[in-house]
Amino acid sequence: MHSAVVHLQGSSLQVHLVSSTDTTTTVATADTSAAPTAAASTETTVAGTTGTEPIVVTAEPLGAGAPEGEALVSKDPGPIVPEVKELLWGGGSFVVFALLMRFVLFPKVKKGMDARYNSIQQSHESADAERSGARAEVAAYEAQLVAIKAEAAKVVEAARATLEAERGAKLAEVNAGIAERRAAANAQAEAARAAARDQIHAAVSDVAGRAGELATGRRPAADVVDRVVNEVMAR
Amino acid sequence: MIAESFKFPEINSILRWRDLFSSFNKIALIAVAAAVIGSLIFILAGRKDASVAPKGVRNLAETSVEFIENGIVMQTMGKEGLGWTPFLLSLFLFIYLCNVPGIIPFLQMPATARMAIPVFLSLLVWVIYMGVGFKHQGIKYLTHTIWPPGVPTALKPLVGVIELISNYFVRPFSLTVRLFANMLAGHILLVTFALLTNSLVTAQTQQFMLKPMAILPFFMLVFLTAFEVLVAFLQAYIFTILTAVYIGGSAHPEH
Repeated sequence: MHSAVVHLQGSSLQVHLVSSTDTTTTVATADTSAAPTAAASTETTVAGTTGTEPIVVTAEPLGAGAPEGEALVSKDPGPIVPEVKELLWGGGSFVVFALLMRFVLFPKVKKGMDARYNSIQQSHESADAERSGARAEVAAYEAQLVAIKAEAAKVVEAARATLEAERGAKLAEVNAGIAERRAAANAQAEAARAAARDQIHAAVSDVAGRAGELATGRRPAADVVDRVVNEVMAR
Repeated sequence: MIAESFKFPEINSILRWRDLFSSFNKIALIAVAAAVIGSLIFILAGRKDASVAPKGVRNLAETSVEFIENGIVMQTMGKEGLGWTPFLLSLFLFIYLCNVPGIIPFLQMPATARMAIPVFLSLLVWVIYMGVGFKHQGIKYLTHTIWPPGVPTALKPLVGVIELISNYFVRPFSLTVRLFANMLAGHILLVTFALLTNSLVTAQTQQFMLKPMAILPFFMLVFLTAFEVLVAFLQAYIFTILTAVYIGGSAHPEH
């Protein structure tokens, strides 16, 4: 029957195996700086195994050799207690980052952003101005177009009026010519007709006078013959 | 059998990490990395040509600046609060970059699931909004924090106690606990479903149906990992917007 006796004194940890055959072995000594007080001494007796073979017990610093993520065992502070080293590293990192951001990093990026935004703003304003100018030019062009169209309409109207007047004048002239020629033709025809009538009248008067002379033996008066011939021809 | 193989580790073993070297553990590493990565993003962004349309890292930096300016500062503090953009941007990026390692393989630990960083940031915010209050309102800030303008005299004793506790204790406490508890809960959930999946896969059992059932906790693990992406962003956003609200409220008591 073995018993393990653990002595914890200061930073030294000693484990003794004690058996009834008086076998005492110091098997490990470890740094126990995590002990609550340097002067404290703790003795614990645990049940051992039977037999005389040597028993090897290893003691390691807390957490040493453990895979990452394993516990640092029960002496650790509670999970919600902030650790000083984390406070210092975390707080220090943030303070440095915030100061860098405030005085170096942010102003540089922001300056570039503002310059680009201003450039874009100016481009927009320039584009707006150009658009306004173009609209004004279009309006002026349309106004000119309206004026030109009105002027053109006036010219066309004047031309039409002129043409109409010229046409009327020409037509009147032509009509006058036609009337004149018609009057001349009528006069000529009338003259020819009068001439023919005179010739017929003279011939009929002569024939009638000769016929009266033959019938009565004396030639009728010329005025009587003329009157009779005129009466007959007038029917 | 399953119960024997599924042994949930002690809480400290999934939260506390062996020191990488003296006084420097994984939480410190993540915090330093968050500051370095945040700085690098803006250093690289600052080197890009700002006159052309931003892309890549410059786009990321400008998007985060616009998000803080338009999504937080203008909504809570107005135009006068734009001077706080660098601080709020740092706060948001730092918290986000401390949250995200919770789902990054090998890191798998959000630095904000430990109390130190949330408590530091909350106390810093508390000091800042108190300082802003005194700067803008002078000594009257003390009375304004206890009795906001317009409170009827009859209600002053009750409101005074509530506001005193709220402004001086509850705000920093709630800021701390909200961030810490959400990230811790997410981390524990991921660990739980990862261990459950592993236990079902490696269980020494005659019931062969148990192994295919590992798909269920594995599915939850995948789902929660995606959910933690959202939580990481959301918690950083909430912490930042509340900071902006507190600072804005200190500068303008009528708000």
